[in-house]
Amino acid sequence: MDIEQWNQVVREWIDKTAQQLRQLPIEQIYVAVGVLVLTFVFFLLISLFKRSKSDTIVLAGLSGSGKTVLFYQLRDGSAHQGTVTSMDPNEGNFVLHSESSKKGKIKPVRVVDVPGHSRLRPKLDEYLPQAAGLIFVVDALDFLPNCRAAAEYLYEILTKATVVKKKVPVIIVCNKTDKVTAHTKEFIRKQLEKEIDKLRASRTAISAADMSTEYALGVAGETFTFSQCHNKVSVGESSGITGDISQVEQFIREHVRP
Amino acid sequence: MLEQLLIFTRGGLILWTCKELGNALKGSPIDTLIRSCLLEERSADSSYHYEAPGAAYTLKWTFNNDLGLIFVAVYQKILHLLYVDDLLSMVKKEFSEIYDPKRTTYYDFDDVFRQLRNEVEARAEELKKSKQVGRAAPVALGKKQGGASIVRSDGKHNGNSSSKDGGDSDSAKEHKENGNPNGHQNGVKKNVVVNNNKENRDSGAFDVNKLLKLRSKGAKKQESVVTKAPPKAEPKKKATKKNRVWDDSPPETKLDFADPVDERGIEDMEVVTENHGESMMDREEVFSSDSESEEEEEDEIAGKDPKMDEKKKGWFSSMFQSFAGKANLEMSDLEPALKALKDRLLTKNVAEEIAEKLCESVAASLVGKKLASFTRVSSTVQAAMEDALVRILTPKRSIDVLRDVHAAKEQGRPYVITFVGVNGVGKSTNLAKIAYWLQQHSISVMMAACDTFRSGAVEQLRTHARRLQIPIFEKGYEKDPAVVAKEAIQEASRNGSDVVLVDTAGRMQDNEPLMRALSKLISLNSPDLVLFVGEALVGNDAVDQLSKFNQKLADLSNSPSSRVIDGIVLTKFDCIDDKVGAALSMVYISGAPVMFVGCGQSYTDLKKLNVKTIVKTLLK
Repeated sequence: MDIEQWNQVVREWIDKTAQQLRQLPIEQIYVAVGVLVLTFVFFLLISLFKRSKSDTIVLAGLSGSGKTVLFYQLRDGSAHQGTVTSMDPNEGNFVLHSESSKKGKIKPVRVVDVPGHSRLRPKLDEYLPQAAGLIFVVDALDFLPNCRAAAEYLYEILTKATVVKKKVPVIIVCNKTDKVTAHTKEFIRKQLEKEIDKLRASRTAISAADMSTEYALGVAGETFTFSQCHNKVSVGESSGITGDISQVEQFIREHVRP
Repeated sequence: MLEQLLIFTRGGLILWTCKELGNALKGSPIDTLIRSCLLEERSADSSYHYEAPGAAYTLKWTFNNDLGLIFVAVYQKILHLLYVDDLLSMVKKEFSEIYDPKRTTYYDFDDVFRQLRNEVEARAEELKKSKQVGRAAPVALGKKQGGASIVRSDGKHNGNSSSKDGGDSDSAKEHKENGNPNGHQNGVKKNVVVNNNKENRDSGAFDVNKLLKLRSKGAKKQESVVTKAPPKAEPKKKATKKNRVWDDSPPETKLDFADPVDERGIEDMEVVTENHGESMMDREEVFSSDSESEEEEEDEIAGKDPKMDEKKKGWFSSMFQSFAGKANLEMSDLEPALKALKDRLLTKNVAEEIAEKLCESVAASLVGKKLASFTRVSSTVQAAMEDALVRILTPKRSIDVLRDVHAAKEQGRPYVITFVGVNGVGKSTNLAKIAYWLQQHSISVMMAACDTFRSGAVEQLRTHARRLQIPIFEKGYEKDPAVVAKEAIQEASRNGSDVVLVDTAGRMQDNEPLMRALSKLISLNSPDLVLFVGEALVGNDAVDQLSKFNQKLADLSNSPSSRVIDGIVLTKFDCIDDKVGAALSMVYISGAPVMFVGCGQSYTDLKKLNVKTIVKTLLK
């Protein structure tokens, strides 16, 4: 019954508007339609541009490697009162703190810090299509116990279709280098390469049954090095707590022009 | 005493900690809490116990979902601080007012917190004193007073604290009156009445969630106090409950509607099940389409519940709400949608307990959140549930067995996998399938027949071994399986096998002698991987099986470092159609990932769990 009533009301309304339209001069209607079409095209263009533009820097890495601290160092230049395990990604569109005092107009960077807990890793896929660069944070202090897990995560990232196709540059940042016992970046690079080489053997065996990894990594028959990747993989150092993040900032500015 | 109180965002930035308390926490209780409780969809629990060498803490928490804030209080486990809940909710209220997403430091909150803490501690002190005067009702009273205290802080903001003080002294007086043990039950009743009145008056100022929590706690405590006369306690509890429903829902009409809707839901379901039966009888092929229609109907039910509410509120206002987005979600808004979702999970064979807990956790993550424009409550709840399910089913650790095998190979020792489970779930069959799979990846496998109990078990395994051309280690029957396994592993390292697959006898989770034997086998041989084999057909029993297996393995082992189940093999997955709930139940209760899925009769029928399809099927 309700629906019938409504139908009636709507029909009356349509009749009325039709009458009104007939009374209007034809030019006005053309103009109105024109304006409508223009706005539509405008919005369409905007949305298209937004989609295709890749201007996001993604922070990834294992839980506890210091991604959130790096994020706040980049944004505010301080680690505030410390951090705990993230449950949601941190997103921000900002001018890097170190550049905020510079004169002139500086383009802000969109930085996303994706939680490292393995349960939250699927969130990474949401941001990768827009990624202009990926910062893979490794805990240089507590590296060896987490070496395998880190290598697995890095392997997953490097074989993702979005990363391989768009050749998203990756920097492996060895964090916490302010500590004396931290491993050097060369050591970490070698260890990661070694682990990924092993992973390659076991993962390609599985992928026959399970199509989760879309791209093979490196050159078959050779030991794996990061230089074999289609995208650029570099290694850097940083210290989130003391604020020594120049290499990270440099990486960001290489791939997102100011 | 309180060890620490933290306020942080869901993104992980600490906004405020109490510097006065300033005790350095031992270990990392907060991170552990987040990883093993909040991220596992257990946030509806009331507290979490953290244990590390030299430290034992209890943690309590509360969320402000709208602002994305988490408040955590940490205190020593041996202390039972009754005021922590109150303190947390007060801190939450005060802090939410000054919170600004752009600000990252809140030094001015120190003073506010000090004040709040003094207030709460003074009240707790008062409570202790009154406890000594009369032994009987204090706990219930205490909780209620806690409830009243929040009202009081509200009252201060409004500037009418006098009436509250009157109410408090009233209850205190009454409390003294019933100092003698005889009259204490009466006293409890009176207190409840008094407090109810109070809450009636101020129900507007209450956060519903808070109230619910306090109420349920109060009720529980009452029960424990009045255990001497259980028949009397029962009606009392009921009375408060009934009151609560009337108090909480300002739109009283909703209450009238709850029952008919429920009934209709049940009726529909009955019709559906009948249809279901017919189609099964008639022809099998239409089954899938029929089940779809069933789901559609369910969807309708799901959609109907919130609609019924909205109709009462008026068509226009509901339209307006859908445009503008609803202010803040409350428990009463979520309930119908959650109930529909829970029913849907139950039809997918998820254990009831698990479905309940999940819904509670999802509710806890949504209460207080703003509803986005152009969305319905039911779709918001569904999206939140989907997120939660993906999170649960995504493995916590790597499930790359081959990688582990290679690692063990490098160390020059065999990789040992033990299969455990109840009777007849397909341990031996899936052991053979995994052996076949490993063999295909050029790994040398050896089987160990440690089912020395069931007649024919060794022969069964021997048949598999012969067909797959795999060496088998057997010692016949009536031997201690732990010793057989040990010898098998020694044999394997001698002849250079990479993997030893240990088959054990099936046992019911309640059979203590057998569980003890299993525990001995595991602690003696310390296998690299303990796989629990479970049927996908199992429903509510999944919870019992896994939790008991885990618990018994931990309790009955002699060694201090107890082993629990590392992974799950889900068998008979091909015969459950869309009732995939067992996967969720098992993963939720054990925290272990599903590593293999058995889905057929041949050796090749071994798959990995596809999380996305499982979640889709569960919510379909």
